[in-house]
Amino acid sequence: MFGLGDISIAIAMLGSVAVTGVCLVYGIINWNKDDDSQGGKNE
Amino acid sequence: MNNSNGIDSFVFGFLILGYVILIGYLGWRGWKKTQNSKDYLLAGRSVNPFVMAMSYGAAFISTSALVGFGGIAGQFGLGVLWLVFMNIAIGIFAAFVWFGKRTRQMGAILNAKTFPEFIGKRFRAPGLKILISLIIFVFVPLYSSVVLIGGARFVQEIMQIPYAWALTVFAFVVAVYVIFGGLKGIMYVDALMGTVMICGMLILLVSCYWRLGGIVPAHQALTDMAPLVKQHLPVEYALGHRGWTVMPEFNSVWWWTLVSSIMLGVGIGALAQPQLAVRFMTVKSGRELNRAVLVGGVFILLTVGSAYTVGALSNVFFYRTDLGIANNFQSLAIQAARGNPDLIIPIFIREALPGVVLYLFFLTMLSAAMSTLSSLFHVTGSSIGHDFFRTVTNARHDNLTVTRTGMIFGIILSIIFAMILPPGVVARGTAIFFGICAAAFLPAYFSALYWKGATKTGVWASIATGTVSSIIGLVFLHRKESAALGICQALFGKSELISTHPWPFVDPFIYSLPLAAVVLVAVSLFSEKLPKNHISRCFKRK
Repeated sequence: MFGLGDISIAIAMLGSVAVTGVCLVYGIINWNKDDDSQGGKNE
Repeated sequence: MNNSNGIDSFVFGFLILGYVILIGYLGWRGWKKTQNSKDYLLAGRSVNPFVMAMSYGAAFISTSALVGFGGIAGQFGLGVLWLVFMNIAIGIFAAFVWFGKRTRQMGAILNAKTFPEFIGKRFRAPGLKILISLIIFVFVPLYSSVVLIGGARFVQEIMQIPYAWALTVFAFVVAVYVIFGGLKGIMYVDALMGTVMICGMLILLVSCYWRLGGIVPAHQALTDMAPLVKQHLPVEYALGHRGWTVMPEFNSVWWWTLVSSIMLGVGIGALAQPQLAVRFMTVKSGRELNRAVLVGGVFILLTVGSAYTVGALSNVFFYRTDLGIANNFQSLAIQAARGNPDLIIPIFIREALPGVVLYLFFLTMLSAAMSTLSSLFHVTGSSIGHDFFRTVTNARHDNLTVTRTGMIFGIILSIIFAMILPPGVVARGTAIFFGICAAAFLPAYFSALYWKGATKTGVWASIATGTVSSIIGLVFLHRKESAALGICQALFGKSELISTHPWPFVDPFIYSLPLAAVVLVAVSLFSEKLPKNHISRCFKRK
């Protein structure tokens, strides 16, 4: 698969791309959520 | 004046000077805006998500990844891509979503400015803060030394200067701007560096695939070289290496190293890195962390995904003489690197890239090392100044002189380690540090965020167990370190206590982390609970 000698390497490659896609989708969907600003105390 | 690879030393030096001036300026601006310890330690808790994510990524991905693990990919192949998957799935997604948000919220409630302070205040145990700060102070120089080595080896090969010179200059540049900048200065510079890193790695990867005729032909060319492992690399073959596009032989030495130390140790250990966890407390809301997940995931894929793939593909370029790159070697990558995997990426870069791109890539490496080193030196300094000294002396305010002194001491120690550690140590040193942090801190950190029943005594026991069991594993059980240290040999007449396969090759993290977790639960169940009002306050949600 993709010229690779082992399906597990192909899975690692595709899995990395896929989980990046999950990060992208998560970031886009939640772009404006969880705006729970809290200011910390100063010294 | 050009050296033998067409590098114009004058232009090169001018470019480096310009870059150093630019980051010095950004660091100075950060220093000017640093008004108090909240600014110095947490960048004012007001960093924007792009800067936060790029800073996290730049601090996370260093020359230990690009040069160290990129070199391992060159030596042993694309099995290291599983670490890319873990870095994104665990080091970015799980870290930001399941650890980062709660850390940010709880950290603000507790007014914690560092990771040791976070744990200390959560469990109402100033002594824990001191213990964690001392663990950080002892072990961080090991990791920062291998990051220094990765950068210095790159400089050594590109500029053809002695290793000691490259090391000294590197450390000096980083030290100057981190000592004066504080976290605000570091994070803005990190964002610039992260951008440089992405550009540099992408150019490199695209160049390699293009020269080899595309993605599938490139992979196929590497697959076709598999028979050469047995022929040319008998040592690696005996360790389990079966080709650069296949996993190592199951249950072989290299299989255990790849899975236990690299995939799991580094992949999961990323969750418990104090210099990364503190960044979750720098943004003002969970919304910033949501946005940072997007940026961080893409950053990791493009940087380390590119580095490991290029490392493995370098074998094709080093071996073949018809591709117009590295034609004088006719050897495999590890042979071209004179047996030192840390030199594979630097030598390949020097041979593969034309002058202009080489300059950009040099800045990429410089950025990767400086961003990570700055975060490590910063956490070293804060562990001594804010966590140890201030707690022990019961001072009302941080002493920046003590903090900077702690940093300087950490820098000096890192340079000394970098001078004396043996070749090929970058990936191994990284795995050791990540494994120790995971075993020592992860159970306590996780329970701080998710388990109201965790007690002060339970956490004390867990951190002590994780740390001690990791050290015992390194000194007496894991052959790579136990043999090198020689203590087991001196005491018991053998390089490791348990020689039955696979135990000498199982990373100590594999048993230290579960042991620390079990101890935390067991001791917490039978020890005094924290006050309910304190727990309610810590877990308060808006």
